[in-house]
Amino acid sequence: MAMNKLHGEYKIPGGKLVQVDLLLRDEQLAEVQVSGDFFLEPPEAIAAINAALEGQPASADEDTLAASIQAALPADVAMYGITPEGVAVAVRRALEQDGQS
Amino acid sequence: MSRTRWRDYAWRLLRPAAQQPLLHMALDQVLTDAVGAGTSAPTLRFWEWAAPAVVLGRFQSVRNEVDLAAAERHGVEIVRRISGGGAMFVEPGNQITYSICAPRAMVEGLSFQQAYAEMDHWVLEGLKTLGINAWYEPLNDITSDGGKIGGAAQAWRGDAVLHHVTMSYDMDAEKMLQVLRIGREKMSDKGTTSAIKRVDPLRRQTQMARELIIDHLIATFAERYVLNHDELTTAELEQAEALIESRFATTAWRDAVA
Repeated sequence: MAMNKLHGEYKIPGGKLVQVDLLLRDEQLAEVQVSGDFFLEPPEAIAAINAALEGQPASADEDTLAASIQAALPADVAMYGITPEGVAVAVRRALEQDGQS
Repeated sequence: MSRTRWRDYAWRLLRPAAQQPLLHMALDQVLTDAVGAGTSAPTLRFWEWAAPAVVLGRFQSVRNEVDLAAAERHGVEIVRRISGGGAMFVEPGNQITYSICAPRAMVEGLSFQQAYAEMDHWVLEGLKTLGINAWYEPLNDITSDGGKIGGAAQAWRGDAVLHHVTMSYDMDAEKMLQVLRIGREKMSDKGTTSAIKRVDPLRRQTQMARELIIDHLIATFAERYVLNHDELTTAELEQAEALIESRFATTAWRDAVA
């Protein structure tokens, strides 16, 4: 079974770059890693974002992915240069890249 | 709680001799937490780099940001700092780097954007008296008529805020571009060459020795606020060394974002 390493990026208006690396396993997102030059407080919130994406079906659309991330964020989160919607775009781009490879 | 001001504190100035990149990472944490705990006065620390390094932002991926083979070839160490933001390529003598470890109350009620500008207003004034018209480009770039000078990053930890800045004094742009990967997406609207041109190092802009620029910035601060020369304590250095062992030198930390 092919398990391509997929990579997607999205430049948030204002200049920060959100990158997503993931695998597709049984048509589900696996080993999701969100990274970039953004700011996030508390820093541990990055684990919540990764966990919210893990196991999502490859067919999940942007709105669904963004809503899952939003729901997983702690109430006191402060973000700059990263948004749930921007991460969702980067994930979709990674998945669409799979179709081309 | 209302916001406190620079004048409300007697500041501690640290300007030790060159130190290893990992020690700088650890000292940021030790000194910020000491200010948060009230065991140290608010601190302004100027850094000297003893070795070249790539300093990754807290959330950056090692493999996406760094060409590890090129880094090894050039003897460049990869370290990760506690604040977010972008990767920096540093070499001894090529940067002006400092940290401000301040009580969180100083940025109380401020937006991210306001907090960055507030922490560096004295630097912008200091640059102005050197003839450089510099300003903040949100969120965290310090730029000038000639081009970008540097960047800042903040981490809010408990009752303290860490604000650190690296300004370019001189640069080996070719080496930087070998070691750092410049993402396709980030470069989508500008070529590699313009990425180098965008930066206008302080050496070219001032024709001044690096140490004299640092002296001038310190004097600018001291004209405005109480600033006491001090040394790192043995306890602080021991805490930092312990943190290097338990955190900053571990792959669990450096490759936390692989």
